[in-house]
Amino acid sequence: MSTVPGVVAINTFREAVRDRVLYNLIFFALMMIGASILVGEISIGISRLVIINLGLSAISIFGLVMAIFIGVGLVHKEIEKRTLYTLLSKPVKRWEFLVGKFGGLLLTLTLNTALMTLGLAAALYYVSGNFLRADFSILVAVYFILLELGLVTALALFFSCFSSPMLSTLFTLGIYVAGIFSADIRDIGMLTRSPAMEAAARAIYYLLPNFHNFNAITAAAHGDAIPVSLIWQNTAYAALYAALVLVAASAVFSGRNLK
Amino acid sequence: MSGQSHTRSLRFALVAVPLLFAAIVWLQTRIDAETATIAAQKDELLLRSGPLLKKLSLGYDSLLADIYWTRAVQYYGSKVGNAGEKFELLWPLLDITTTLDPKLMIAYRFGAIFLSEPGLGANRADLAVELLKRGVAANPDDWQLDSDLAFLYYWHLKNYPQASAAYLEASKKKDAPVLMKMMAAEVAAKGDSFLASRAIWTEIFETAQDPSIKKNAFQHLQSLQAQQDLLELDKYAEDYRNRTGRYPASAKELYESGILSGIPLDPAGVPYILGPDGKSRLDPKSPVTLDKVLNR
Repeated sequence: MSTVPGVVAINTFREAVRDRVLYNLIFFALMMIGASILVGEISIGISRLVIINLGLSAISIFGLVMAIFIGVGLVHKEIEKRTLYTLLSKPVKRWEFLVGKFGGLLLTLTLNTALMTLGLAAALYYVSGNFLRADFSILVAVYFILLELGLVTALALFFSCFSSPMLSTLFTLGIYVAGIFSADIRDIGMLTRSPAMEAAARAIYYLLPNFHNFNAITAAAHGDAIPVSLIWQNTAYAALYAALVLVAASAVFSGRNLK
Repeated sequence: MSGQSHTRSLRFALVAVPLLFAAIVWLQTRIDAETATIAAQKDELLLRSGPLLKKLSLGYDSLLADIYWTRAVQYYGSKVGNAGEKFELLWPLLDITTTLDPKLMIAYRFGAIFLSEPGLGANRADLAVELLKRGVAANPDDWQLDSDLAFLYYWHLKNYPQASAAYLEASKKKDAPVLMKMMAAEVAAKGDSFLASRAIWTEIFETAQDPSIKKNAFQHLQSLQAQQDLLELDKYAEDYRNRTGRYPASAKELYESGILSGIPLDPAGVPYILGPDGKSRLDPKSPVTLDKVLNR
């Protein structure tokens, strides 16, 4: 088993830390402190809800911004700085390089998400003075966000293999938004009452990554239990889809003329 | 040379940044004054469709629901006490909030109070019923919304059969207190009753976690107690007149005649006042307020 992807991943992680990517945690911390103090003053009976909703939404948004903006630059930066040529002159396969880059960013996102989750827990404890058994759903929601970020990272990496960072950002954002609305696309197809349109809409529905699957924020805020079956199904879905995208990215990147 | 240049830039920045910031603050104050009339008219909702907002929220619908609920509370708070206020945006705000997060119980429970209260709210018990019915449909296992719906039918709409049916529905749900079944029977049998109302507010007072809800329930309980006391005192004043041919001049006189065993105090500990017409009332200094005008 090759250790190359692991080495690339560790270096990608170190580079992200060196680039002060984790500074976003300061904004997150300030936001949670502000919300914890203000929330009781401006509304009625939803302090806990606001902290959970705001915390999970911020974890998701901060993570998405990082996944997209860093993800699209992973390959481009190496080409621009010409470090990729040095790397590929060594016994490193292109797919190993891509998988390593993916793993490194995922590791950064995992650390970032874990630290933000700690911040959320602290704010929640400050507001309500205790933790409930139902709060376990928050951890599941965070895990789902991480799965979503993994998928977005894979997509960003895929687009960055053949286009500029700007276009890759637009493509990834476009696929993300379309993935949220995928169920609506399927439903619109059904409304047309045309078998061809319905089939096409259904095909798009399955083709697009369904990001709606990973939204458990509302359930977590209300302390609703999230079925174990959904946890493994979402895990498998994210793993399979990310694998599919990475395989496609490797194929595209292998054929790319880097001269 | 480069060091000197850096020091010069730093000094310039130290002077220029505060100056520019002061200029910005001054300018913003001018702009605020200029746009004050526009700001006064901004009491509007650009998007009134809950389902559309849910789509546009890109999955962050529960956070948006919290924002809309806070907006509804702020809106209600800014309008309450205005004579003739119709609270026109209250229903759309609550509609959007509960569409974005159909499980936001507080929005149904408090929203229904804001909508239904005749003096302190929109006086739209019909919309409050619609809101609670929507809440019951979205949260079929929760007995509290059925209980609130029953209270609305009972207290504001005086529809006792519907109130009894809603209490009965609440009693069938998980964790519902035995009281619900009793209420169903009580309301069905007696109609307008302080006992039923007091039982509901007591339940809210004892189960509410939020201090503001607890305080509100406590105020209602005080009001109910005062209403009951005032009606009782009226009866004692009438008894006194039957005995002596005139109304008592004060509650103290009632006590001295032996009709009462002590000076009657309202729930805040302030003595009640008796008028020359034999009608009792709260001392204006008392912090207790009545929910409704007594029919006597």
